[in-house]
Amino acid sequence: MTWILQLVWAFFGSMGFAGIFNVRGKKLITGSLGGLIAWGVYLLARHWIGSDPICYLIATIVLTVYSETLARFTHTPAILFTISGAIPLIPGGSLYKTMSFAVNSNWDAFFTQGITTLLLAVAIAGGILLTMSIWQVVSNIVRLLHGRKKRS
Amino acid sequence: MDYPDRSIDRGQAAIYASDMLSRVLTIGEELLCSGAEISRVEDTISRICHAYGAERTEVLAITSSIVVTMYASPYGSVTQTRRIHESAYDLYRLELLNQLSRDICKNPPQELSVIDERLDEIAHAKHYSFWQLVGFYAVIAGPFTLLFGGTWQDAVAASIIGVALKPLQLLLTRIQANAFLKAVICSIFGGVAAGLFVRSGFAQNVDLIAIGDIMILIPGIALTNSLRDMFSGDTISGLLRFSEAVLLAVTIAFGFALSARWL
Repeated sequence: MTWILQLVWAFFGSMGFAGIFNVRGKKLITGSLGGLIAWGVYLLARHWIGSDPICYLIATIVLTVYSETLARFTHTPAILFTISGAIPLIPGGSLYKTMSFAVNSNWDAFFTQGITTLLLAVAIAGGILLTMSIWQVVSNIVRLLHGRKKRS
Repeated sequence: MDYPDRSIDRGQAAIYASDMLSRVLTIGEELLCSGAEISRVEDTISRICHAYGAERTEVLAITSSIVVTMYASPYGSVTQTRRIHESAYDLYRLELLNQLSRDICKNPPQELSVIDERLDEIAHAKHYSFWQLVGFYAVIAGPFTLLFGGTWQDAVAASIIGVALKPLQLLLTRIQANAFLKAVICSIFGGVAAGLFVRSGFAQNVDLIAIGDIMILIPGIALTNSLRDMFSGDTISGLLRFSEAVLLAVTIAFGFALSARWL
């Protein structure tokens, strides 16, 4: 039950941000669904794996595949869906904690929390970029094979 | 595309080229201001220039500036730069600009005024109204408080503060406060309000209320995207955005810490 509720909160949180970023119409819903999917995958991955950065990486990979697929169908930049979908994962809270340790000159905690934040951000950025590059390569290969078939 | 008329002289060709390039730069500028990735901006500019018959295009875009040099034998090389000042995510505008550049590449219009008209339309594209945005702020703050484990009362308090943050931000923009002053004032306000809600006995956890509202203010997306820029090879832009995000985050943390000390 708490899982379902969490998914609902993730959905609305993403929708709020998608709204601020001026995502309009149906894409507001499909973009926020990306947030729900990302958070769902994260919860599942956390259940089985446990390590936060890896869970974030898996969640963003799934999210990027979702975004690229949608982008292909709607002829819009995929960034529209990845940004609104990545919202629940974005380490805003963690970033804040890091900086509040710095403001209170608690340096040990600052470094630990800072590295955690950076790792999470790297996991998200890396997941998106890795999937986008692989997607690009795969679609190039598909186009190549398709072209060859046509010619022969 | 062929050059409009091969018989026209070099001077006229150069004038046309520089008119064209300035439109292309405007498209690039608008893209960057709407939050497009650096690689998309560079790619779009060079594609349009090629569609207009440039033989070589050199584009360098960073967060704060775009430089384009294009070369074609009828007019030699033309260079223009554009300084970019502020950017905020506007994904609807990004979508429209993407559509515009696709259309131009497919069929480059000879009359440049066609591009002007489309750009004008995009500049006046729809936005959510003030009250809708206020609603979105509430929708961000409440659910995030709940997501991090807050109670219902905490979420309501966070949403109320979120609703108040929007007019405050608007006011600060009106009096032309810069990004850092805005962040400090908003975070102090958020911290004090969260403290007051807990003191009055309505809500339970100051930090969980604060986290919902911090999500609105903190540049978490900028941080993540800056790393993405760096990974994809745009190191300068990545570093610019990264340091901007970290500075802003420090400011916000400072504001909240200050208000926590007062209460």
